[in-house]
Amino acid sequence: MKSTLETLRKEAAHLLKEERVKFVIGYAQGTDLARTTPFFAANVRQAGMLTWTPFCVYSLVKYLLDFRYDDIRLAVVVKGCDSRAVNRLVQDNQFARERVVVLGIPCGGMLDREKVLRVVEPAAALLEAEDRGTEYLLKTDCGEFCFEKQETLLAKCLECEHNVPVVADRMVGPKVPSPARPGMDRFAGVRELEALDTAARSAFWDRHFARCLRCFACRNVCPACNCKECSLERAVPGWQQGVCWLSKRTSLGLNHMFHLIRMYHVTGRCIDCGECARVCPVNIPLRELYRKVAKDANELLGMSLPGLDPEEKPLLTTYQATDPDEFM
Amino acid sequence: MPRTGVFVCWCGSNIGGVIDCPGIAAQAAGFPAVVHSVDYKYLCSEPGQNMIIQAVREHRLDRVVVASCSPRLHEETFRKVLARAGLNPYLVEMANIREHCTWVHGAEKEQAQAKALALVRRAVAKANRLEPLFESTIPVTKRCLIVGGGIAGIQTALDVADAGHEVVLVEREPTIGGNMVKLDKTFPTLDCSACISTPKMAAVAAHPDIRLYTCAEIEKVTGYIGNFEVTIRRKARYVDHEKCTGCGTCWEKCPMQVPSEFNAGLGQRKAIYIPFPQAVPNKPVIDREHCRYFTTGKCQVCAKLCPAGAVDYEQEDEVFTEKVGALVAATGFQLFNWSRVYGEYGYGRYPDVITGLQFERLVNAAGPTGGKILRPSDGSAPRTVVFIKCVGSRDESKGRSYCSRICCMYTAKHALQVLEKVPGAQVYVFYMDVRTAGKGYEEFYQRAVREGVVYVRGRVSKVYRDGERLVVRGVDTLLGRPVEVDADLVVLATAVEPAAGAGETARLLGINADRDGFFQEAHPKLRPVETHTGGVFLAGACSSPKDIPDTVAQASGAAAKVVGLLSREQLSTNPMIAQVNETLCTGCFLCVPVCPYKALERRKITELLPGHPPREREVAGVNPGLCQGCGACNAVCRAGAVEVRGFTNEQLLAEVDALCL
Ligand SMILES: Cc1cc2nc3c(=O)[nH]c(=O)nc-3n(C[C@H](O)[C@H](O)[C@H](O)COP(=O)(O)OP(=O)(O)OC[C@H]3O[C@@H](n4cnc5c(N)ncnc54)[C@H](O)[C@@H]3O)c2cc1C
Ligand code: SF4
Ligand code: SF4
Repeated sequence: MKSTLETLRKEAAHLLKEERVKFVIGYAQGTDLARTTPFFAANVRQAGMLTWTPFCVYSLVKYLLDFRYDDIRLAVVVKGCDSRAVNRLVQDNQFARERVVVLGIPCGGMLDREKVLRVVEPAAALLEAEDRGTEYLLKTDCGEFCFEKQETLLAKCLECEHNVPVVADRMVGPKVPSPARPGMDRFAGVRELEALDTAARSAFWDRHFARCLRCFACRNVCPACNCKECSLERAVPGWQQGVCWLSKRTSLGLNHMFHLIRMYHVTGRCIDCGECARVCPVNIPLRELYRKVAKDANELLGMSLPGLDPEEKPLLTTYQATDPDEFM
Repeated sequence: MPRTGVFVCWCGSNIGGVIDCPGIAAQAAGFPAVVHSVDYKYLCSEPGQNMIIQAVREHRLDRVVVASCSPRLHEETFRKVLARAGLNPYLVEMANIREHCTWVHGAEKEQAQAKALALVRRAVAKANRLEPLFESTIPVTKRCLIVGGGIAGIQTALDVADAGHEVVLVEREPTIGGNMVKLDKTFPTLDCSACISTPKMAAVAAHPDIRLYTCAEIEKVTGYIGNFEVTIRRKARYVDHEKCTGCGTCWEKCPMQVPSEFNAGLGQRKAIYIPFPQAVPNKPVIDREHCRYFTTGKCQVCAKLCPAGAVDYEQEDEVFTEKVGALVAATGFQLFNWSRVYGEYGYGRYPDVITGLQFERLVNAAGPTGGKILRPSDGSAPRTVVFIKCVGSRDESKGRSYCSRICCMYTAKHALQVLEKVPGAQVYVFYMDVRTAGKGYEEFYQRAVREGVVYVRGRVSKVYRDGERLVVRGVDTLLGRPVEVDADLVVLATAVEPAAGAGETARLLGINADRDGFFQEAHPKLRPVETHTGGVFLAGACSSPKDIPDTVAQASGAAAKVVGLLSREQLSTNPMIAQVNETLCTGCFLCVPVCPYKALERRKITELLPGHPPREREVAGVNPGLCQGCGACNAVCRAGAVEVRGFTNEQLLAEVDALCL
């Protein structure tokens, strides 16, 4: 990963020096060994502070939305999964493709911080990380540690479909093998749930939704969610209080509504990056919910995974004169 | 807080006979914001209407709920009542407690009572959130454009022009007249088709208010009811019609022979030609594909001989734009291509198996045989002629599922013509049913039977060649036995289907086609010449198979609608259309392609936000002339930025809450 990091810093410095972009959005070392932080490098010196470790889990693409109506060009660092989010935003006309320089890094998978910290002291300083194919070698000032990927990667990385970015203006670093579990089936979890009877399935989701805090973390991280104001969080003024999609209370029923509405809103747009499930503080398996719709859309309508092709029209957004129109 | 009044109607015993209307009114008095609640025998009656007006004044009502029949029936009535009472007419909400309740739950009174109450509660919840809506006006361009110059287009053009409005008639063939001028005689009166249609064609050419474009098609339509702009492309004809006198020297001397479309492929024409002697306009065109000059670079016979110097090989397509207030689709029909699928009739390999339209040309005195019925293969007179009906009609597996409506009648006509023209001929008709609804139609068919046409009920399973003759093998289902007829000529009554390119025409005009490709009427019974797109009307066989009387009647109907529209100075627009909340719109424009009426467009706005310099961005905008309020955009907009006025998310959610919580 060392040479990749050097190339990344060089590319970023070059872009900033030539004033091709205003910022390079990337990662910097965080508060401990197993943390990185989103970092906006604005000049050549700051480009040298960018980092690339097996802890760069966050997708940075959503930051583009903060600049969607501005007139500046940006660069953003993406892994395979995040890269689909770029296409997603381009498809929704939220960011002109020419305004962003995509720095794609082929990714060998991200380590689960919790598991790493069970072994390594958090205060240790990370000197270098080496991707050795099936394992990561972390060189720290407290010694070297080896982590078997199949044991220590994040769940979502073991289900990775595109570890090499699907879109990139510059590919930084060499292609690396996919960290996905061999024989991985994206819809295995959905199939398991489908096999349950209705009562058991309902109990499954009741159990999970009952814990929902309605913190909106899933929405905030989601590249399919790019509304200016979320209809699920809209304030209703005055005496009409209460007439909105969802009141602010949390109850099992309202939580169901929240998640089902969200599910429909991301239908045909969810790029299956798995960020929602990762950020959920109460570990609701949200990914399975959205994958169920994706599976149906795939089986019934032949829709492929959104975010692969920016030209493809998302589900439910086309009209043809030959569409059946008995309802009109 | 609004002040809402509830009025519960008995509709005589229609509602009052099933539920307790005073009870509903009493309970509704307790609903949020309701300050007045009464019941009445007939709210739509004069005294009923006056009662509402009085209550509005006395109780200072500003929202009205009428619990009665379907809004399709009386919403307009009650809107007018509100207007008379001095309120915005869109502040009325109806609860349909008749069609949706008492008519269907007459036997379950208790449940009907509960349902009616729930429906009223829903209506109150919505009424409390209604907002005044305002109609706006748009000017009307007092001209009309008609696509298709068959008898339908001709009739509409003449009627509209005679009413004093300018008409633009666009026909893609070199002449107007459509299918009707190709016919010989017309059922059931057997008058000569050309004799009754060519005068109308000539009238079109001579009319000062009709502008005719032939060899032309529409290419683009923008705008909306009252204000369309249509782009027309006129194909190069290679003859300057300004100079041409129609003398005919050119087509006499042209060396090329091409099968004549007008004669359904049975005769020949030249590469420079007029389709038939009475064509309108009566000036030739060059068929570039077959012209010797265009294909080999040598010839120019026509240019050398033309005394007017009208031939112009350099001519190019011309593009025109026309501004009109109304559009009429009159693109007619074509015959189903039977030879592709009907292997049992020889896939078109036998020259003596022909279609009804070819038969029309064979019996026509101006046709390729001078009106003698002769076999295309050897020019001999047929002794035995077999007609097969429903070829491609009522045949879901090979053709179309519907009945083409005209074939029973024209087959009877053709059969009679054979008997008349070929003395001693034998005529057989294989049929599934004989359908003769129409004035004088059954009598016409009986005449055919009386004069000796043999009607055999049953399908033909095979037509094959045996030497000079054709053998038609079928089954007589009435007698339950196989039949075999040695025939000299076989005539197929092939299905009527929408004209080629009808789908593209529908797309350009922004109208819908049904599953068979015929244009969709706004209502099959009550609005047969209108479409769902304001200002676009239908005439003739483009909306369903029709004979000439029906075509002409519908064409005049369409003309009446057009004249009605063009006689207005201004149109008021329906205010219940989409509106975009620009603050919420993210500019994704996913709504643009889903709008069936092309009503959504990109608009630039300048946004002023606290702490930011003003910035420009693009949002969706609704064209009020085009939007029909269908709500498709509403459904696709995840941001909830586009809503249909009168059906806003807030109003609908309030209704759902009132029903479910
Ligand atoms: C064999 C046969 C026999 C018949 N006999 C009788 C009879 O005896 N009595 C009777 O009442 N009816 C009869 N009919 C029915 C009759 O032909 C129709 O009712 C009539 O022609 C319908 O007229 P129309 O103007 O709607 O369509 P059409 O005659 O089809 O005219 C449509 C016109 O629109 C033009 N057009 C199409 N698309 C476009 C486009 N995109 N742009 C520009 N122009 C376009 C076409 O070129 C054509 O000129 C018969 C039909 C057939 C097939
Ligand atoms: S109205 Fe909605 S769907 Fe249309 S562009 Fe705006 S956000 Fe997108
Ligand atoms: S409601 Fe929306 S989709 Fe329907 S016609 Fe109007 S703008 Fe188009």
